[in-house]
Parts: sequence; C-alpha cells; structure tokens
Amino acid sequence: MSVQAAVVGIGQTKHAKCRDDLSLAGLVREAAIRALEDAGMGWSDIEAVIIGTAPDSFEGLMMPELYFADALGCVGKPIMRVHTAGSVGGSTAVVATHLVESGVRKRVLTVAFEKQSEGDTTWGLSGGRSGGVGAGGYFAPHVRSYIERSGAPDYVGWMVAVKDRQNALKNPYAHLQLENITFESVKESPMVWDPVHRLESCPTSDGAAAMVIVDADTAKVAPTPPAWIHATAIRSELGWFPGRDAVNPQGGQDCSADVYKQAGITNPREELDMIECYVPFSWYEPMWMENLHITERGDGWKLTEEGHTAIDGDIPVNCSGGVLSSNPIGASGMLRFAEAAMQVRGQAGDHQVPNAHLALGHAYGGAAQYFACWVVGSERPES
Amino acid sequence: MADDKPPQDKPTGAEEPDKPVRFMRQMVSLDYIAHQSPLARRYGAALAEKRVVGQRCPKCSLVYVPLRGFCPLCVVEMTENDEVDVSDHGTITTFTIITPIQYYGQQEREDYTLASILLDGADQTIGQQRLGSIDNSEVRPGIRVKAVWKDDLSGAESGTGGAIEHWEPSGEPDVDPAEFEEHVS
Amino acid sequence: MSLQDIAIVAWAEAPREQPEGTTDSALLIPIISEALEAVGLSRRDVGFWCSGSADYLTGAPFAFVGQLEATGAWPPINESHVEMDGAWALYEAWVRLHHGDIDVACVYAAGRPSAAGDMGEVLGVQLDPYYLQPLWPDHIALAALQADAFMRRTNTNERVLAEVVAAARTVASGDANAVVDGSTDVDELLRAPTVAGPLRAHDAPTFTDGAATIVLATADKAAELTDNPVWIRGIDHRIDAHYPTMRDLSRVHSASVAAEAAGVANAPIELAELSAGFSHQVPMLIEALGLDDNCAVNQSGGSIVADPMMVTGLVRIARAAQAITTGAKKRTLAHAASGPALQQNLVCVLEGGQ
Repeated sequence: MSVQAAVVGIGQTKHAKCRDDLSLAGLVREAAIRALEDAGMGWSDIEAVIIGTAPDSFEGLMMPELYFADALGCVGKPIMRVHTAGSVGGSTAVVATHLVESGVRKRVLTVAFEKQSEGDTTWGLSGGRSGGVGAGGYFAPHVRSYIERSGAPDYVGWMVAVKDRQNALKNPYAHLQLENITFESVKESPMVWDPVHRLESCPTSDGAAAMVIVDADTAKVAPTPPAWIHATAIRSELGWFPGRDAVNPQGGQDCSADVYKQAGITNPREELDMIECYVPFSWYEPMWMENLHITERGDGWKLTEEGHTAIDGDIPVNCSGGVLSSNPIGASGMLRFAEAAMQVRGQAGDHQVPNAHLALGHAYGGAAQYFACWVVGSERPES
Repeated sequence: MADDKPPQDKPTGAEEPDKPVRFMRQMVSLDYIAHQSPLARRYGAALAEKRVVGQRCPKCSLVYVPLRGFCPLCVVEMTENDEVDVSDHGTITTFTIITPIQYYGQQEREDYTLASILLDGADQTIGQQRLGSIDNSEVRPGIRVKAVWKDDLSGAESGTGGAIEHWEPSGEPDVDPAEFEEHVS
Repeated sequence: MSLQDIAIVAWAEAPREQPEGTTDSALLIPIISEALEAVGLSRRDVGFWCSGSADYLTGAPFAFVGQLEATGAWPPINESHVEMDGAWALYEAWVRLHHGDIDVACVYAAGRPSAAGDMGEVLGVQLDPYYLQPLWPDHIALAALQADAFMRRTNTNERVLAEVVAAARTVASGDANAVVDGSTDVDELLRAPTVAGPLRAHDAPTFTDGAATIVLATADKAAELTDNPVWIRGIDHRIDAHYPTMRDLSRVHSASVAAEAAGVANAPIELAELSAGFSHQVPMLIEALGLDDNCAVNQSGGSIVADPMMVTGLVRIARAAQAITTGAKKRTLAHAASGPALQQNLVCVLEGGQ
C-alpha cells in the first residue's frame, strides 16, 4: 500500500420506513452533508465520489448516480457506481479507500443509500414474477442448517433480536425503536420464513450513509480524530456448486482472515474492541462469529447466549442496532463500516463502547457469496 | 411506459384530501424478451419425458442438475456427451416455510414449503422446490421425496415448475443429515 | 506522488452472432480464457477481477452474479463490480493495481440489449424520476436536443452527420461485429425522414449484444508477459449535470475535463476510438477532446454500427490498444460514455513502447 487512508467525516440519515419528506437526491444529500460537516469540508474540497446501492430495480431507477450528479456536487468531477449485492455498502467504502491508497485522489466522498419506500424490494428481487420469496426465503434454509448443525437452542435467535433492538434505542438514527421488545414478543411474532420470525428479521428502511475518506496528510489536520483504515478486503465466491458450505462460506472466512493479516491481528477476539457485522436475520450473528474467526465452528451461538456480544460484553457486536434495526439495503453495509469508524473515533454517543481503539466493519451479499471487511483504528498504523 | 392502473392496495397521498400530496404513484412497465437457452430447452425436453437430466463434469466428475454447460469449479465445458439421467427421487437437505409477501404481481396466497433436494445421482441440490402431500409442520431435513409429475407436461419446457406438480414423501426411511452435510445449499 | 504505469497486455471480444438464448456466462467464458491464455496466464493468476453490467438491459436483478461464473470463482476471488460500462471497471482495476500487492487484473463486461423490448423505453428509466422520467423522452429525443444545440452553435449541417454515418458504415464493412445494412450514399441518407429532428434513424446507435475482456498488468509483470505492452498513460472520467437544461448541451464539458486530466494534449493522438452512439457526437467529441485533423476516428465504425451497451467503452479501449500492438499507431485514445446525451465520459490515453 502506498498511501495511508483515514475516515475524517461520517454522516447518516435518520432511517425510517418512509422518508416521505425527502426525494432520492435529498436522502443521499442528508447523509453526505453531515459527513462533510463532520470533516469540516465543503463540496469543493471533494475530488471524487464513489456511490453504491443495491439493484436498480429496488427504486425503479437505472443508474441513479446519473441523476444524483447535481445533488452530490459532482458536476465536472468523477463519480463511480459500485454494485456488489448486499455487500455493496461495504465494498463501496473499500473502492473509495483504494482511490486514496493508490494515490489517485486525496479526498473522496463515499455514499450508499436505499429508499425502499419508492419501490418494492420483493418485487425487485423477483424481477416482477410471482413466487418471489425475498432474501428471507433464500437465507432461511441456511439458518435452519446452522441450527441443525450446531445444536443451538432456538432462543439464541430471539436473544440477538432483542439485544440489537435494545442497542438501537441508544442510536437516534436507527429505524426501529422497539422499547417493549422481549423474548416472548419475538417468539410470538409471526413466522415468516420458518425458522425465522418477523422480529428476527430486518425492517425495510429508507436511509443513506456517507463518509469522507482522505490521505494521511489531510487526516493529520482534520478537525476531529480520524479513524485510520488499517486494512480492507473483499472476496467473492460462486453461489451454487456441489459441496459449497453456504452456512459458513469460504469467501467470508478468507475475507476476514485477509483483513486481520493485513492489520496485524492474530487474535481477533482479543484484539478487536467491537464488531459491526451484517446481520439481517438474527441467526447470522452466531453464524458470522464463526465465519469471522471469533470463535470455533459450532460455538458461535454460545457467545451470544453467554452475553459476550452484548454492548457491555467482551466482544460487543452491532452496538448501533445493526441491520436488524435499520435496513436501507444499499447503505446497510456502509453503516456497518461507518459504525466501526464512529466507535474508534469515540463518536458513537450512547452506543459507544468505552475505549474502543480497533473495530471491524463487515458486509455480505448475494447468496452469502460477496464479502467486504475493514479494520479501523484510533491509532495510525505503522506503515 | 407509464401505466395508469396502479394496484389498489395502498393509498396515495392524493387520496387523503386533508393532507398534502407526498406521493405520486408512477407505475412503470417495461417489456423484455427472455429467450430460453439451448441448455434449458434440452432440460425441458427431458422433463417432458419425465426424465431429470444432469451433466457430469469431464474433469471433476461432479454431476450438475439442471444443465449448465460448463463446470464452474473447473471452468471446462460440459456438452451433450456429458449428460446423464439422475433419479426423480431425492433427499430434502434443508427447507423453509414461506409466508408469501403480497407484492404487485404475487399470485401466492397460502403458506407453502420450499426445499432443497439432493436427487439420487446428483452432486448439487436443486433449490426452492415445492413440497406437497405433507403437512408443513412435518417437514424435516433427511426426508426422502419423489417427484409428482404433472398429467399435462406441455409446460415442461419452462423447467421443473412446469413439469413437476410438487415433491412428496416417497416412504423410504430418512437419511442421516451427516450424510448430506456437504450438500445443504 | 506520481502514478505507476499500468499496461494492457491482452484482450478479447465475443462474436456478435451467438446462438439464440445464449447467456452472459457463455459469452464470457471463452473470451476470458482466450485473453488470459494469450499471455500464458490462467484464471488463478488474476489478482483482481472487475466487471461492468446493467440489470435493466435484461430486466432481472444481479446480472453480474450470473457472470461471476465466468471467472471460476472457486476458491474465492478478489472481485468487484460497477453498474457501469466495462471501461469504468477497467478504471477501478487500474486503481487497484497501484497497491502493489497484486500484479494482474482481469476486466470484463457483457451486455445483451436484444433482451430489452425497446431500448428507448428502458433508457427512460435512467432519468430523474420526479421531473424528467414522467415526460419519458427516449435517448434519441435527448440526443436530438444536443445535436440541435451543437449544430446551431457550430453551424454544422445535416450533411456532416450523414457523412459520419456513411464513413462509419464504409470502414465497418470488414468488421464481423458491426451491423452494416444501410446505404453509404450521403444524398440517399439525407432523403430519409427525421425521427427526432435533426436526427434520422441512421444517426442513432445500433444496439448489439456483446462481451469483451481486457487483462491489465503492472509494469514488471507486463514485461514478463508480453513484448508488446500497451501503456495506460492517462485515464480519467467526469460527469456533467443531469438535467439537459442545466448544462450547455452544445458542448461535452465533462469529456474536456477528463481529456485534460488524462493528458490528451501532451502529444498528438493518432487514433481516437469514441463511444459516440449518435453521428453528431463524433464531431462534438473531436472538439471536446481537442483532437486535431490528423487523428483517425473509429477505425471500425464505432457505436453507430455496433453498440453493445455496457461493453462499448471497454471495446473502444481494446480497439485503441490493438492499433498500437499492430504497429499502426503509437499513441491512441479511447473514450467511454454513459447517461443521456453523453452526460458521463471517460478518457484513456494509450501508448506503445517500453
């Protein structure tokens, strides 16, 4: 790597079922303006924009970045649109980081969004045909296989559902604010994709996230502490072949192992102060704890059950409330990356993990086949 | 093109006269032509004869169903010479019970079970297969199932959905999940 | 800091004629193999993959997920995707190669406009959904506004447009991937009715299905792989305002900015391969990019005779590289575009030698 990069500005929208007070462009601007203000910058300071969102069919708009060019201050500048399925928010931040690390640009704005209220996601996923089962219908069989394979008790899924929603109560940007959620209410909520209950699933949200990523020289004079980007990694694998382990995909194992190696992390459980990972269905927390090498295969659910992943546990997971509390799909991955950066900047307010210095952001997508990770820290890494 | 017949299940802002208009519904419909691939045509032609056909990779010997023309692991071509019949009996490796989301165009109304099925003779499950003749609550991994072929196979060229009514228990004893742990997806 | 030189070392294009119902993977698998094998590489040697595609071409989400099969993504690979022309995927790969941890990247794109019932309707979905899309102008209507603005400012007449079409058809006659089925007589072309004045049907792009791939390498690796590397001396992309009324439609401002940033003016360009789907865009881009009279343009006819959407820009880069490896040219330019009336533009300057 030639140039060190850091996050010096972070912004997000108030996520909600329907932001009918904002146009699509207004939504991305709300996040982008907050990120610029945080960085102490204006539009003219930005050299390039990297934008990501999930399939165009979700809003019924082909290449929406063409229309955003004006609203994102891009006229006369470069803008590039990344799309890597559900992992896109994460991989968009990775592409933006590469742009700085390569030395091509010094100050990059990266934005990700989804305005689910302007379309119909299940319709979009089905290509308009009948019989669409949504992401839940695809992932539920993998969740079942995990439960069967690990012998986890069914209440572990309910625990994650409650924990993340309680964390969301500490996050004013989070969509769901479920003050009265309990194990009972999760268990009694309708079964939508057996074994996944409605309250074990993510909501549909409107929202956007943005970050300003800059080179080390710019970061050193930033008005607020930077989150230094210690490492990024992406991996893709085929979604369908004989012998594929869709429960604990190799791509996710490789991606996290790569990002740890680059960041000099040998014991992620000990060295990471928190993890913000992509958990759209509650069981994915224990599944990813195994996939991200935090614990041994088959033991992920025990971390949750014993409270280690709670905000006051030894390896807090999804302190923001996670995807289970806010799911603007294209932005969901970037929100994970942004939360990790907010934590190491000491910027996370009521959901701050005390003394968080090193954090992992993670996103996945497709048939659990696209992965993106980054490790950010409060200290500048040794080059 | 703009379609002036929106679905009637959601109100628009204009239908709440006391409130400012916040939504304009703009329905967009675009036409596409989806040509069936030569592989899908051959797969469908076999289904019309109540046969399920797959391809065995000439390099790694894994059997793929349905036909896909090349082995993505070896990235080598699989041709008609590599086609093999597999059984219309198989094992459920995993499943979910779907409560259908009522989006525009959705025709499903009742809960139903979709399973991944590892057919005898295949190395890859076929996913999202509809079960029948079994209560949703009775489904479990390891059940043996067989195809219930439609009486009218004229729609077979569109794939298993056009040829197979559903899959039902065959009555054979369950398979130990450990035997198909490598084939759940 | 100064950027390293990255080289194009191989490329391949799929034949336009394909069996009915062919898939993106079927288009891509043989050409990726062909390009890699040409420089003695296998898929496992590729350190980074990047592709460009658009879901709205085939009307189903996740076009790129199906295309992933063509990479042989097992074990898992380092891979990314842009919902843009493959030329922008090449840009991302070019950026990625500067990290120094990998030395080979493979870029690919596939697009099948034939699946879309009416490209004019499909491209209408590219427009701002609140003010422009409800009016549903098609790509030809928007290009016609641009043509009119350009022609008025520069006193260009319709004969010039017809000459561009005739020239494109003439040079394309030997290109198997081009569609040449109309007149090359300027007077006859001018007798055709306008479809959106001043444009006639033949002034518009000929959408075709296609796929292409380009292999990039760092300088040291390129020297190992080939005696004939094509160096990317500059590459940049820029966007203009979306609303046709918010920019000077008679100019392609963003192309000019990209050209300056890519160093077009540093030395004469001998050949420019332009993603000019409409005839009037050829003189517009020649002006915007600052090309002189000695510069050849679109040696195989360009997008007027073959526009495999999402692939076109990548093909232009491959053709501009080819002109160098054959020894015909020393310094060439490739251009890619996206959006209504050339809203977004990418410029890539290529040179031969060591």
